[in-house]
Amino acid sequence: MARRRYHDGLALHQALPGQFLPFLVAAMSFLAALALAGGIAAHGLSQRWTHGAGAVTTVQVPGPDDPAAGTGTRIAAVQDILAHAPGIITAHRLSDAELRSLLAPWIEQTGDASLPLPAVIEVHTTAGQDPMPPLLPRLEAIAPGVMVEHDSVWSDRLAALAASLQACALLSVMIVMTVAVCVVMAATRAGLQTRRQAIALIHSLGAMDSYISGRFASRVGLLALVGGLGGSLAALPMLLAMSHLAAPFAAVTDAQATAPMDWRDPAAWADIVPHALLWMLLALPPAAGMTGWVTTQLTVRAWLRRLP
Amino acid sequence: MFRLHDVSYAHGGNAGVAALSHISLDVPQGEFRWLLGPSGAGKSSLLSILSLEVQASAGMVEILGVPVMQARRSSLARLRRRIGTVWQDFRLLPDLSVFDNVALPLRLQHRAEDEIAHEVHAIMKWVGLENRLDARPLQLSGGEQQRVAIARAVIYRPALLLADEPTNALDERQAGRLMAMFHRLAELGTTIVVATHNDAIVEKYPAPAIELAHGHMVRDYR
Repeated sequence: MARRRYHDGLALHQALPGQFLPFLVAAMSFLAALALAGGIAAHGLSQRWTHGAGAVTTVQVPGPDDPAAGTGTRIAAVQDILAHAPGIITAHRLSDAELRSLLAPWIEQTGDASLPLPAVIEVHTTAGQDPMPPLLPRLEAIAPGVMVEHDSVWSDRLAALAASLQACALLSVMIVMTVAVCVVMAATRAGLQTRRQAIALIHSLGAMDSYISGRFASRVGLLALVGGLGGSLAALPMLLAMSHLAAPFAAVTDAQATAPMDWRDPAAWADIVPHALLWMLLALPPAAGMTGWVTTQLTVRAWLRRLP
Repeated sequence: MFRLHDVSYAHGGNAGVAALSHISLDVPQGEFRWLLGPSGAGKSSLLSILSLEVQASAGMVEILGVPVMQARRSSLARLRRRIGTVWQDFRLLPDLSVFDNVALPLRLQHRAEDEIAHEVHAIMKWVGLENRLDARPLQLSGGEQQRVAIARAVIYRPALLLADEPTNALDERQAGRLMAMFHRLAELGTTIVVATHNDAIVEKYPAPAIELAHGHMVRDYR
């Protein structure tokens, strides 16, 4: 006897055609990817502006070459403390040229190039840490008059803006997910309507609700997975281009910001996209598949309740 | 076997049109019963209750030891697997082959495909359609479709077999073979209820009968 193909009468290829649903899920996934990318970028910038590379503390040391309370000059003693303090990534003393360039507008106004200038140290701290307040008494002790400035007004405003952008991104993702769920529900109900006689028959022959809902959910889950994969792949080039354009804003140093990208180097491609974004793109297809599976399970089980 | 006590049923819920009123029945295992009555008497409604297609509006229904009104959905699904039904309109799926239509109940029970093929070939040989396995139902005559429907109902050897006018489209010889099979199944322990208004066949194959009129039971012959 020739082996026959398994048929249970549900004919899901007719009930849930393979073109319509994956295309819609791909479009939703694409939009979700863009919204999530926006959220991740906003989060990254927020981190940078509030705690990271963008959060620069300046330490002004008046009379830098005067002797310190201990040994050596005041500036050397301050730099020594900063160099060994936990939570400080770099402590860069601005050169004379950098300092004059920074103060050029004021120096030009006074016309006096021989003004005594304090030494200025740019301190970059570890994300999430503010090591300066506990250091201040020690700095004061060796270099009286030392000033520590952390201009948080702008970074706080920018952080608030970034938080708003994150909230908008989250809202967008939720709206896209809601629309996707509605699309899956509508497609599933249309499929159930198409095959209602077959479903009623196999129900009367003893098919469990879990069997029927499982068959529909497997089909929709697979189509949604394919759609999610398509959406992720479609979003990838756009996100790569946007990440490349945004790279200077995320760079830690000026050298990184202005360095040209080697387009032939795969590692350079991987570096321009934040890792969180790559993980998000990888997670999107299974998330789409799972959303489709769960939505279909619930829709079919609710529909089957009309049968005795 | 099944028991009904004071069962009523109305199309469209309790406020709808009464189809059955205060029916009480007790049919033991392995019994054959004719279900008699004119059109509109309530035969199909009674078969629908027994095949778990609809729920009685009132009363107590117990089928194969399961109290239907209190049973969970999963228990009812398992119970349906022990009930075979031959519907008057056959209910064959037009986009499946004859083989797949008959194999459907066994596939829903997750039987092995080799076993299914063996069973389907055996039953289709018995109904004389072993050469039409790949045909679609709409390519068959009414009598052939009825035989396919009968094959699908008996292939899993149900404990309760319900048939609504199963000899309608059959010739006398095929009807005779079908009745012989029903009696053989009853001897093997299957409870069988056959609805008909074909007096000739009832006279030819005498058996206990339930008679309905206007939704009421008028007689329960033993």
